[in-house]
Amino acid sequence: MEILQYIFGGIITFLLAFVVGMTFGGTRRKIIARIQNRYGPPIYQNFIDAFKLFSKTSAVHHGAMHYMGPAFLMVSSVVSLMFIPILRDGGWFPNLNFHGDLIFLLYMMVFGSLGMALGAGQTGNPNSAIGVTRGLAQMVGYEIPWIMALVAMMIQFHTTSITGLMDVQLQSGTWNLFASPFAFVAAILASLGMFRYAPFNIVGAPAELASGPASENGGKYLFTMMSSHSVFAFVKLTLFADLFLGGAGNLVELLIKTFLLYMIPVLYGVVNPRYRTEQAVRWFWGWPTVFGIIAIAYAVWST
Amino acid sequence: MQNDSRSQKIVDIIQAYARRHSLWILAYGTGCGAIEIPSTMTSRYDAERLGVRGAATPRQADVLLITGYLTVKTLKRVIRVYEQMQSPKYVIGFGSCAINGGMYWDSYNTIKMLDQYIPVDVYISGCMPRPEAVLSGFGKLQDLIKAGVADGPKRYEENFDWYRANQKKIIKNWNFADYNW
Amino acid sequence: MNVIFLILILFLVGAIVTAFAGKWSSLLQDGLFILAVTIPAVLFFTQVEMNQLVGWTRGGIHLELGLTPFSYFFAILVLLLGVASAIYSVGFMHGKARKSYYYFNYLLTIMAMLGILFSRDFISFFVFWEIMTWASYLMVVMNGTRTQEIGIKYFVFSAIGAYAMLMAIVLIHAQTGNFLIQDFIDTYPSLAHGRQILIPILLLVGFSVKAAVMPLHVWAPGSYAYSPMSFTSVFSGALSKMGIYGMVIVFVTLLSHLPEGGLIRDIIAWMGAMTAVIATLWAIAQDDARKLLAYSSVGQLGYIVIAVAIGTPMAMLAGLFMAFMHGLFKGALFMVVGAVEKQTGTTDFTKVTGLIRKMPWTFLTALISIIALAGIPPLGGFIGKWMLYESLILSDHYLLVIVAFFSSTAAFLYAYKFLFGFFLGQEEEEWADVKEAPITMLIPMLALAVGSILLGAFPQLILKPINNGLISLGFSDSYGKLWETSTLFNEWGDKVVLQPIIYAIMGVFLTTLAFTYFRNRKRTRYVSTKDISTSGEIPLAHENLTFKENFFQPFLRAVEPVMKKQIDWYYREFGAGLEAIFNFTRRIYSGNGQTYALYAVIFLIVLLLLNGNLFGQ
Repeated sequence: MEILQYIFGGIITFLLAFVVGMTFGGTRRKIIARIQNRYGPPIYQNFIDAFKLFSKTSAVHHGAMHYMGPAFLMVSSVVSLMFIPILRDGGWFPNLNFHGDLIFLLYMMVFGSLGMALGAGQTGNPNSAIGVTRGLAQMVGYEIPWIMALVAMMIQFHTTSITGLMDVQLQSGTWNLFASPFAFVAAILASLGMFRYAPFNIVGAPAELASGPASENGGKYLFTMMSSHSVFAFVKLTLFADLFLGGAGNLVELLIKTFLLYMIPVLYGVVNPRYRTEQAVRWFWGWPTVFGIIAIAYAVWST
Repeated sequence: MQNDSRSQKIVDIIQAYARRHSLWILAYGTGCGAIEIPSTMTSRYDAERLGVRGAATPRQADVLLITGYLTVKTLKRVIRVYEQMQSPKYVIGFGSCAINGGMYWDSYNTIKMLDQYIPVDVYISGCMPRPEAVLSGFGKLQDLIKAGVADGPKRYEENFDWYRANQKKIIKNWNFADYNW
Repeated sequence: MNVIFLILILFLVGAIVTAFAGKWSSLLQDGLFILAVTIPAVLFFTQVEMNQLVGWTRGGIHLELGLTPFSYFFAILVLLLGVASAIYSVGFMHGKARKSYYYFNYLLTIMAMLGILFSRDFISFFVFWEIMTWASYLMVVMNGTRTQEIGIKYFVFSAIGAYAMLMAIVLIHAQTGNFLIQDFIDTYPSLAHGRQILIPILLLVGFSVKAAVMPLHVWAPGSYAYSPMSFTSVFSGALSKMGIYGMVIVFVTLLSHLPEGGLIRDIIAWMGAMTAVIATLWAIAQDDARKLLAYSSVGQLGYIVIAVAIGTPMAMLAGLFMAFMHGLFKGALFMVVGAVEKQTGTTDFTKVTGLIRKMPWTFLTALISIIALAGIPPLGGFIGKWMLYESLILSDHYLLVIVAFFSSTAAFLYAYKFLFGFFLGQEEEEWADVKEAPITMLIPMLALAVGSILLGAFPQLILKPINNGLISLGFSDSYGKLWETSTLFNEWGDKVVLQPIIYAIMGVFLTTLAFTYFRNRKRTRYVSTKDISTSGEIPLAHENLTFKENFFQPFLRAVEPVMKKQIDWYYREFGAGLEAIFNFTRRIYSGNGQTYALYAVIFLIVLLLLNGNLFGQ
């Protein structure tokens, strides 16, 4: 019975993440359009696109790994989703968060890039491989400030679990945004890379790489990837809300917090051109890493 | 689900809605028509509000735009790109050149009638068609999808031999590898 | 006769008999070779009793052999990898020259490693250590390419290590009067302070050479890359762990008595971290699979050194678990390279491409092993990494976490390069006829890969022997505190429960896979890798579209400043400096009688001048 409850709850959580992620994505397209002085697509445009991709009637495959690539991507998104508390008190969204901690989550979150990279590799498109090398390089870049922020929080509050960090905020009554501000800054700067919006959209880079790893994927593959990206965006936003903004008590609060967090990479992105890969990598090893070091020093000092 | 005609009908309606409101275009910028695409997509005419959006590769695209005259050399590429696209897929021919050769009607190395080689759903007349005309062309395509008559891939498959014969007649150095279709 | 002797003698006899059997029949030789490894292995696991000492005295020197729980753990690794690689070797060496030579040295190496683990006194330890070094040296120079450079490098560094160890042993004998390890450990706290510092450092130098810790790692990439791949899986998987074995004993039994022990440990941990980072970056830059894995081995050993140098119970568990996992996945990966090398004749990423459909089982092994290497859950590599990070955070080594995490994230790059290089990418005409590797090579590879999966689900299989070994070294029992059946804890009470994770991952993976596979199944057709988006261009069958050259160029550009100079450069400069001094010294011997007469005169004058001072009137 417990298993059924988990599966059912997992499906509900997945649907929530899917819907929210897609809507946020559509909102982003609308915002970009408005900033470019266009009318823009409706904010439910992403659903239409996804359903269209889903209902494509033919497809090609390049071999077993081509099927497995999107599956790996989905594993990364959905399993990360299952280990993140959506609301402070489970409720409709039971999850497995007490079965794994932040370091587990960290590895789970990078898993998708590698899996997708393998799927893209088998298509044999040189653009895919170039995109992958860029993406992995950028990942090494942003993981550094990101792990620094997390380590700073872990040593400040003596816990490595997400629920532990949420409890700390609940007990002290202050958000970690204020309790460890430098960690927040480092994490947010790292999140710019995680979302891969401009100026860090070097992986897809439509004008250069013909959308990179996704270039040989249409129809059902692209649908899987698109839903996975939407879920993953929600995962990242919820994780940030949980870690720094004290989590959420109800859905409305969650949506507001995640939306505000989402606006940071979006609004930073719309006014920026694209970096070269080595510039992007070095950008993350510049100020974000400095903030990370300050965060760790602050955490050591304050404990 | 497949046999239940009523539920199938609902699915069809939703599918047709999704397909006509999400047209990812692959702009095959052959002739002078390519210059009309940016102005159609950007601020003034903003095709994205209709769900029209650029796709990077044939695998992701729904609509192939043939923007202008096609030389024999490029026809080969166009056929390949068309065959790489995933059905349902649509083709829009831009301008008089795609319709009847236009000002190149007597050229030795441009093709005259595009729909002899690949199934075309919508032609947009003009030399060149302005963005308004392009948008109305997309509107026409949406209508056709709604009516269920934009079935290019089906026609292509059914009359495959005829299309291939036409293609081979005009392309002298036919070197399509057998992996293509 | 005691079974410990029996095992060692069986190896020795097996080595000699196998070497000569090749004269009669190649098949007989192969059979004898496998028997010569498996029979002692079976004997070891069934007959050898724990903590039973056998000794003898010759010429006033007492020597002892025996098995402790700690060496038992390493023996599992050695024998597992030894047997797997032996079966693999039969397939790998089929039809190659110098098979007898290979088999002889292989058996000798395994024997020497077991001998090291059995040794309870310094003399036999040193003797077996030297046998191991010699046998592996002969393997490194076996294929005859670049022996001058690679072989001599390995030899010189091994000699440095051996001399350091010998010096330590002589010092120890001067202190305790005998060579027994246990006696020395017991008397160590009462030694003079200078000796207390000097002896562990000398021993550590000896062990660091084998564990390839910076700056003593210079030999490793070349030696790993140029030995036969079937041997390298043992070389990198098990032989390098002998250094870890010695290091752990030194850390735990000696340095923990020393006030400066913490400092030395931190220094070694940082050396390990630097090794991990630099070796990982160099691995990314390699275009040859053998070299890539060789650098990666050095890097992975870096983590293990970090963990054992930190030395909290959790770090020890992490380090030893990672050591075992490294044996499994790196052993399998070197076997993969060997298989590709055998089937295609090259290991160059820029040449080989798109083998996935030709060698699917080899690819599967590589995929599983790479996932384990990258430390991605739910495979075994993750458990080691998790415990490493947790132990570093909990023992206040914050910067080490960052460094370790950096290199393990950067490891994704070469992990991807390895898979992509051989198996993915464009399928080329040149490699259209490549066949899957023979079954004798596939079975050991797949067995090791299955081992990686098993340990991810049931880490207690190997955590239990590790725990027993650590208890015998004086740690407290960590069962129930740090790990349980498929659950890992840290000291703050956070945990990872592996079973639900595995179910979740498998569930989601299979669901999505079923979706992508079955959706429009009938209208999904296979297309070759030539049928891709190439802007409408039609690539012909012979046209090479593979992207392999300068694979991670943007990343390497970003880390360029770190990689300007290799450690080799410093050694070379040092060597050049020495050579200049020697050159100058050589000039003294001009070969001219007049000059020598001048020297004699100068010497006399100096003597006269210093007369009063030198001899003191």
